[in-house]
Amino acid sequence: MTWRSLRAILAFVILVVLHYTLRPVLEWRTSIDFLLIALLLASVRMRPGAAAVLGFTMGLVADSLSVGAFGATLAMTVVGFSASWLRAVVFAENLVLHAAFFFAGKWLFDIIFLLVERRVKGLDLVFQLLIWSPLTAIVTALAGLLALIVMRPMLDARTG
Amino acid sequence: MARASRLDSRFDTALFAACLFLAIVVHGLPDRLREPLARGMRQTVLVPLVALQHNAGLSRAAWLSHESIARVEDSVSLQGMRNLALESENERLRRVLGLGGKLRWGFVPAEALHSGAVGDEYTLTLSAGATSGVRPFSPVVAPDGLVGMVQTVDPRMSIAIIWTHPDFRVSARAADRSAFGIVQAHQGSGSDRYLLELRGVPVRNQIRKGTLIVSSGLGGVYPEGIPIGTIVDTLRSDGYARKYLLRPSVMPSDVLSVMILQPQRAAGGVEPVWATTVAAADSVARASAAADSMAAARAAGVPGRPIVAAQSVVPTAGAPNATAPDAPPAGRAAAGAVIVNPDSAAAAARARALRRARRDSLHADSLRRAPRDSTPRARADTGRRAPSDSARRDTARPAPPSPTQR
Repeated sequence: MTWRSLRAILAFVILVVLHYTLRPVLEWRTSIDFLLIALLLASVRMRPGAAAVLGFTMGLVADSLSVGAFGATLAMTVVGFSASWLRAVVFAENLVLHAAFFFAGKWLFDIIFLLVERRVKGLDLVFQLLIWSPLTAIVTALAGLLALIVMRPMLDARTG
Repeated sequence: MARASRLDSRFDTALFAACLFLAIVVHGLPDRLREPLARGMRQTVLVPLVALQHNAGLSRAAWLSHESIARVEDSVSLQGMRNLALESENERLRRVLGLGGKLRWGFVPAEALHSGAVGDEYTLTLSAGATSGVRPFSPVVAPDGLVGMVQTVDPRMSIAIIWTHPDFRVSARAADRSAFGIVQAHQGSGSDRYLLELRGVPVRNQIRKGTLIVSSGLGGVYPEGIPIGTIVDTLRSDGYARKYLLRPSVMPSDVLSVMILQPQRAAGGVEPVWATTVAAADSVARASAAADSMAAARAAGVPGRPIVAAQSVVPTAGAPNATAPDAPPAGRAAAGAVIVNPDSAAAAARARALRRARRDSLHADSLRRAPRDSTPRARADTGRRAPSDSARRDTARPAPPSPTQR
């Protein structure tokens, strides 16, 4: 295991810890999904198969720590695999592309999660998918950008 | 190479398909199977995350509870401030009610409004007018003493000048009738701005610091016996008259509710209304004088004098009147200094003297006067105190012209 991999793992752990410490404290209506940011940042550094396994594992963890159906497992598996498959786009070191990537990943996750979980229905579901999910995705994308800037020394692929 | 890549790609796809299948299976599990699985994970591999989440929840709860406690604290302190304001207002109104009870008749209660405008700092707008019986030149009083005089009267309101007005004059005397003079605003600046001057006191009449000055009733506008202020300093004399600086009994900023005396009430006299204040100020002034003479005797090295002074002063200093609000700080400090005289004789002798002083409290007054009268100056003072003589002298002296003494 290289020094670069260790730093990436450290950044991943920090984001996971933030998800279970900072998010419950903030309790915003459009909360930041640090777990998804961690998944996306890890997935682009893995092969699609490994990213799918990571997504599946993280989804299982998220579902075990929340009440309700296991919708996050399925959603994170799909998002992890897709992110890894799209890594050529993301590695373009462009912050706007990264933001779009985080936004798309979070929105895709929410869409799959809400549809699979089937807890919200009808007009509420439409509102959730078209208003609250994009807003949450924007907040998550901004947080992801911030995390990317702060953790750049850890995540930069070119540094050893 | 291309074959290896194709194999990898197939492997990834297979892995993804397997994960997807498992995710669907897990999602499709019935609750009775899903919950034990989740619980098992929470109790094993996810223990650190559960602890993190739990602590974060506790932190948030603590933060919220701190916020709510801070909110409660804020409202309590706000309520406390309101209570203080209410308490102060209650106290003020009680004092005004007390004044009304003592005056009994012939007065009009009014609220005093401070306009605060430039040029209006010498006047008060009163919420009572001619329809309530207010007439021009009516004295305006507060529980602590004289405030001013009504100048303009409208049907429902009136305007009064207060003692800070440059034209304000009142014929005054010392509470013990030892001297007469005219009181007017000091016209000073800074900390001396809100002080009064007692002018025209014959040079042979010396007034001690702490002496209460009251209206003499000689001018015809203000009835006799209304407290005006307390002597705090002596100013430079001009010619044959002395000038004194007075701390006013009533500060203009504290005046919110007043009583306007109607002409017939003013003519009837109000001396008994402030009699307690006057008596208290008089006893404090005498205690101060006794302390001064004792200090002078001690400085002169007369043996045994401190104990005699302690015998005579202690009952006065212990009397309720000695702690009246008009008591000058110097007087109070002096009286206290007599009680704990460090230069006196042995402690046992002092204790005996104190016990004897308490026993003989009925004779305290005569004992108190003894040391003062022993000096030629004090004898002259005593002789000068004949009220009729003083009054005659003051009446004979032409008073300076003043618009308020009409």
